[in-house]
Amino acid sequence: MTTPATTATAPVPPATACPRPVGRGRVVTAYRWEITKLAAQARTRATLAVCLVAPFVFVVLLDRQDRLPKDTLYGRWVHASGFATPLLVLGFAAQWVFPLLTSLVAGDIFASEDQHGTWKTILTRSHSRTQIFWAKALAAATFAVLLLAVLALSCLAAGVLLVGHQPLESLSGTLLPSGRTAGLVLAAWASTLPPLLGFTALGIMLSVLTRSSPAGIVGPIILGLLMQLYAFLNGADTIRHLLLVTPFDAWHGLLAAHPYYGPLRDGTLVSVGYILICLAIAYTALRRRDITGG
Amino acid sequence: MAVGVPAVEASGLVKRFGGLIAVDHVDLRVDVGEVYGILGPNGAGKTTFLRMLFGLIRPDAGTLRVFGRTWGDAGPSMLDGVAGFIESPRFYPYLSGRRNLNLLAGLDRGGADSRIDEVLDVVDLARRAGDKVGGYSFGMRQRLGVAASLLRDPRLLVLDEPANGLDPAGIRDMRALVKRLAAGGLTVLLSSHNMDEVEEICDNVTIMRTGRVVYHGSIDQLRAQAPDPSHRLMTSDDEQALRLAAGHRAVAVSVHPDGGLALRAQAADADAYIIALGRSNLAVRALHLEIAPLESLFFMLTETDPEAGFGEPAQTQPDTLTGVTS
Repeated sequence: MTTPATTATAPVPPATACPRPVGRGRVVTAYRWEITKLAAQARTRATLAVCLVAPFVFVVLLDRQDRLPKDTLYGRWVHASGFATPLLVLGFAAQWVFPLLTSLVAGDIFASEDQHGTWKTILTRSHSRTQIFWAKALAAATFAVLLLAVLALSCLAAGVLLVGHQPLESLSGTLLPSGRTAGLVLAAWASTLPPLLGFTALGIMLSVLTRSSPAGIVGPIILGLLMQLYAFLNGADTIRHLLLVTPFDAWHGLLAAHPYYGPLRDGTLVSVGYILICLAIAYTALRRRDITGG
Repeated sequence: MAVGVPAVEASGLVKRFGGLIAVDHVDLRVDVGEVYGILGPNGAGKTTFLRMLFGLIRPDAGTLRVFGRTWGDAGPSMLDGVAGFIESPRFYPYLSGRRNLNLLAGLDRGGADSRIDEVLDVVDLARRAGDKVGGYSFGMRQRLGVAASLLRDPRLLVLDEPANGLDPAGIRDMRALVKRLAAGGLTVLLSSHNMDEVEEICDNVTIMRTGRVVYHGSIDQLRAQAPDPSHRLMTSDDEQALRLAAGHRAVAVSVHPDGGLALRAQAADADAYIIALGRSNLAVRALHLEIAPLESLFFMLTETDPEAGFGEPAQTQPDTLTGVTS
């Protein structure tokens, strides 16, 4: 075919005045964009607000009750030491609260683009799928870290401010001084970060694979509960150690009279395994899928 | 960048989806400053071509350069200086128009944030910028799509069926907006299935049919090859009017399948025939333009079997109007 000579080629105007970022710079740009988008969502702000306020409400409600939650780890200590509150909440949150909280963002962060049909809006603005994938994965991880930090500090503050900073009994029965206990409480919360990020990756994977926000949010919770059920039914030890909920209990070793770190190490390895596998599946699926309809 | 590099240059571009060849060896060149139309019916391959241009899908063969860059060489940087939308532009419905532009400016950087008010003014959305996009009409979302494109300060604006789904007023406004932008020196690549739209806006056009290019050249060249306009004529005595037409060699009159007569002729010849009808005491009860010349040619090009040729225009201009491209 011949090219019509109807229009003369004109000099190309200079590139845009401000240089645009390249490579990793584009991941950073997309990450900032995703964080801004998350901050603009009422659900994100509400979740963080609940994490901030709920521990105080929880402590006040517990304070008004005569009966203590004695069947829960550190339940009998909630009136005796403010340090028991964050550990009580930690034990409870590991069951389904952590998977729910992180999935609210991770399970929705990819699927929402499908829901709103905005993939093409993003990908026609000089960003590749790879860059957008890592930006979104980092944003979901940032949210997980932030909510863990907010919930941990809020629980600690609620316990110490409303109950006090009395010494706390270790899981071996010895008394732990207040100063050391505060550090151990924060370390216990920090130890749940790997499995929390594992659930974040699980949410991301389901979000990409199902293209459905409800599936991405509810999926990790159901999987978490099924894992809890398997652990509760005393399933085979090997499998139990490979479950993503098991590392949530690894902090018990920190609060023993003679701390042990084996479960923490194993739990971290298991969590990293989940993170790598889930992200690899999600990344591959996103790269291969037809995005042109969304 | 070298002087004279075209905005878009496709060479032997092929895209297959399984056994279907959606884009079949398409060659195309859009020069800087040009307003270029890609015209074709649904399924012609226009949107597939634009998806390749935006890097959303990769061609199976051929090359596609945007300002001299290919996706293979430059990755997403190929799209620097390029903006637009494919099908209908989509936004986050829970955010306002302005907030959506804010977000996209964050993705674009390069000072895009400072242009938000300006682009909202250009598309006449400044007053509704604070409203949530979920409450926008289709036309407002189309205009917001143009605004979002202009945020990137593009040198090439790509619009896929920008008037699709708009009411007549929306279509008029959208065409006026595109013409205004083009008048400012922006290179525009516009896909459409509407001949009127392309004729009104574009300098040059590529017409596609089932993935192949069946015509490309200037609108003026196309206009010169267009057949006579087709009218539907209602008279007080159609049989007599038909007999009278035998004496007017420049008009083609036949029985219209829906009643009345079909009249095909240049304006002056049609006028002479109508006057003759009056002189013969035949009343003209209605005369409607059914198919405009370019529209008629468009139908010929896109509905005729390309292997069988395209009749008169293809025979008179074989170098620009081809049944099967190389």
